[in-house]
Formats: sequence, C-alpha cells, structure tokens
Amino acid sequence: MTTLACHSVGKVWPGAGGLAVTALADINLTVENGEFVALLGPSGCGKSTLLELIAGLEPLSSGRITLDNKPVTGPEPGVVMVFQDHSLFPWLSVKDNVGFGLAMKKVPKPEREERVAKMLSRVRLSKFADHRPHQLSGGMKQRVAIARALVESPEFIMMDEPFAALDFQTRVLMQRFLLEVWSEFKPTIIFVTHHIDEAVLLADRVVVMSAGPGRIVEEVRIDLPRPRRMTDPGFNDYRTRLTETLEREVMRASDDDGLAAIAGSVSDAA
Amino acid sequence: MTDRTGTFESVAPAVAETRPPGTAGKWGRVVLKGLIPWIVVIAIWEIAAASGWNGAVLFPPPSAFIAYAVESDFRVGFGADAMPIPMAIVISAVRVLVGLAIGFAAALITGIVISAFSTISDMLLPLIRGLAPIAPIAWIPLGIVLFGIGNPTAIFVVFMGVYFILTISTVAAVNAVDQRLIKTARSFGASKPQVWTQVIFPAVLPQVFTMLRINFFAAWMAVLAAEMVGVKNGLGMMIILGREMFNTKLILLGMCMVGATGYLVDVLLVQIQRKILWWQPAP
Repeated sequence: MTTLACHSVGKVWPGAGGLAVTALADINLTVENGEFVALLGPSGCGKSTLLELIAGLEPLSSGRITLDNKPVTGPEPGVVMVFQDHSLFPWLSVKDNVGFGLAMKKVPKPEREERVAKMLSRVRLSKFADHRPHQLSGGMKQRVAIARALVESPEFIMMDEPFAALDFQTRVLMQRFLLEVWSEFKPTIIFVTHHIDEAVLLADRVVVMSAGPGRIVEEVRIDLPRPRRMTDPGFNDYRTRLTETLEREVMRASDDDGLAAIAGSVSDAA
Repeated sequence: MTDRTGTFESVAPAVAETRPPGTAGKWGRVVLKGLIPWIVVIAIWEIAAASGWNGAVLFPPPSAFIAYAVESDFRVGFGADAMPIPMAIVISAVRVLVGLAIGFAAALITGIVISAFSTISDMLLPLIRGLAPIAPIAWIPLGIVLFGIGNPTAIFVVFMGVYFILTISTVAAVNAVDQRLIKTARSFGASKPQVWTQVIFPAVLPQVFTMLRINFFAAWMAVLAAEMVGVKNGLGMMIILGREMFNTKLILLGMCMVGATGYLVDVLLVQIQRKILWWQPAP
C-alpha cells in the first residue's frame, strides 16, 4: 500500500533576465494506492510539471512530496512516466523498448525476455516484437509505451496527456485498453489531460488545476459505475460542473494577465 | 475480447513485411534515369572527338584514355615507381576511409565527453571553433613537416579536416537530444552514465554521421591534394604524373577514377547509414 502525498508543493522556473516563473504554488494532493486520478487543466497550468516533480525528474522549489512518508528525491523505482509523444527509443526494437527499464536495472536476460514476451502478448503486440517504432501506428506506439511502463510492475504510472496526439477512434480504443490493464494490474495512475470527457470517463477523481501560478482549484470524485459511457445518465452533470469550473478559471487567469496578455497570445498565434 | 483484438489490429498500418511487387523494376528505372545524362555527355564527347574537334588533344574522350589504360597494362609511372591503377585507387580510398573513421570516433568521444562537463566545453569550444574553419588541404604542409611523406600525413590531413567540425556537430547534437527521451530513461531507472551511453550516444549518431558524409568530399579532395604535392602514390599522384609528362589521357583517366571512387565511397557511406543507422532515413 503506497500513498503519495504532496505537501505545499511549489515550483519556480528560473527565467531569462531574472524573470522567474512560478509554475506551481501550494499544491496539496494525496493519492491512494490503486487510485486513478486525472489532473485536468488548461495548458500552462503546470500539470506536466507536477507530474515530473512526483516522478522525481525535477527538484522542488518548496514543499515536500512523499511516497509512504519517505521524501521523493529522485526517480524512484516503481514510478514510471508515459509521455504524450510516447518517447520510444527509435533505435531500439519494440521488445528492447519494452525491456529498457529492466535492462537498466540489470535484470538477467532470460527473466527480462520472459517478462517482455508476456507483456507484449498481453498488449497484443507479439507479432511486432522485432519492429522498430517508426514502423508502428500512433496507437501501437502508445501501447508499446504503456507496455514498457507495465512490465516494471510499477506502483505509479504518470501519464502526461498520453492520448492527446491520437485520432478519435484510436483514442477511444486506447482509453478502453488503459482501463482494462489498470483493472488487471492495479497500478496507481496519475493522468494529465485537458479533455474533460476523457477525465470523467477514466478517473476515480478529477483534480482541476488553474494557471498563473498552477494550483488546485477543485477536486471532484466521479461516482459513476464502470464501464462508463459518455451517454450515461450522470455523465453530463460531471461534464457541466467541470466545464463551468474550467471556464471560470480560464477567464480569471486571463483577467489577471490583463487584456494585453490575451492580445499578445492572439498575435503570437497569428 | 476477440472482437476488440480485431479492432486493434485494424488500427495497425500496412507494415512493409515484404517488398512490394515491382520493387526491382523500380530500382532498374532509377538506375537508368541516373545513367542517361552520362551516356549523353560521353556520346557528345566521343562524337566531337571523332569528327575532328581540336580540343580532343586536351580532352581525350573515354575511348582514348581507357584504351591508354589498357595499353599501359593498367600501370602508371616508370620503373620502380610504376604502380597498378587499382592499387592507386585502393591506396587513396583506404587513406580517406581510415582518416574518416578515426576522425568520426574521436569527434564523438570528444564531443560527448566535453558536453558532459559544461566548464570544459565552455573552455574548449572556442578553440575548436577556431580550428574547424581551416580547410583540410591547409593541413598538408604541417602534416608533411610532422610525418614526412607517406600514409600518416594523408590520414592526418583527413583527420584534421573532419575532427573539429564533427566535434562541434556532436556537441550540437547532444544539446538537441529530445529531453523527453532522457526523462523517460531516468524514470525507468537509468543512471547518469547509462543515460549517456544508452540514450545520448545512439541519439546523436545519425546527425554526426550525416555531417561526416557532408564533409567526406572535402576530405577526399584533401587526400588527392596531399598525394599531388608530396605523398608520392595514389590517384592524386597519377594526375600530377600526367601533368608532368603532359599526358592528358593520364590526367583524364585519373580524374575519372577520382570521380568514380569518390562516388562509390559516398554510396558506401549511404549504405552504412541505411543499414546501421536505420532509424533515420538517409537524406
């Protein structure tokens, strides 16, 4: 039973010319073992940064992150990341990508091969074991990335908008696939997304974040039976509630920045 | 379950398990397209020479210089210095390949090691950037002073011609490695040395190898120049011997060999890129 706890976590990025940017301020969050938590928020709210802090990939500026009351000081075994662009190593075959973490930890080759083969057959990619990532479709790459995480038997999987780059049909399949492996392997998942529907569909709990600086504005427990469908009664209530919260926060953040900031972002986009 | 499996596989792209039919025919056409300009140029050249063009004395056509090569039993030079033409090709090609290989390996090691220590790279990079613009041929006199006349000088010239540029390229490639790959590796338990050997090293290989290919031609020219001015064998010597004897057939034969050998070495480098660095399409 591993519990993750963030206590008043803050992160300041040193900016150019001494203009430091406060990415996160006073984040308090507790995640229980086996829970599926979605971090929902507009871009720039620091949700990816929070994920990297929890994964021990970046140092904290203030506060404390603990796993079972032990402070996180670097990458912990049992905490793995899955990024939006899958981040497969292009020079490794599918099976070597999946076995990467085991190889780094010097797991003996026969055991490594056995665990990799088992996982590949579980994610239905056995046929593609010797393929290279560039020969796979987007959905298959993301399944390899998930297999690479699951083969470690991790307690925590940090997912940074893992399905954001996929087309709608693939995304739906991948969401089902993720729930399937989650209920089978029972890792704790922290899932970053900016899609309200995706958050409600997948998570036990949705944590809404706001930008400038990033902080938690609301936590919503999703009390809907699984498997969920977007057409379920009750789904829409959660969607409405989260949409209203997000809209309010986006408007508030843009008011804080002033209209100049909006004009700036529009001209940047143009 | 089975249904879903079916759906999943339908998401898979058409993976090229076997070559599509007609691949051989397509290759044939590509080769043919590349050959046509050659045939046209040589045909015009031959026809002009045959119809009494005066320039044919200075620019003897392939039929003339190839006949010359056959007549002289594929040897150039006199007496003890005489050397078979294939030997000249091999000597020049080996010199450039050995120089490139040593330069490539040394630049990768230097680039990666100095990137790992920012103080060292801050100190050394300005020096390397000052040495990189020196053309390979400019190192020839120094090479002859240091190593005398022979293979070490030719290899030294190639090495100096590519080493600094490839070191800069390695440092740039290390800085451009996708941070998410590094973060992924660290989250999967890779130690700092493992990140360097298992992620950064393979990640920079394609870019540095592409730079090697781009710089191959300059290195090739430098080897020939070294052979012309001091190192007394190889294809460069063949051309300079032609000049000394005012034998234009020998000059053009040498030029033709230089072009063909350079082309073949470049093809070899592309094949290395395709076979070993397969994760990046060859440009």
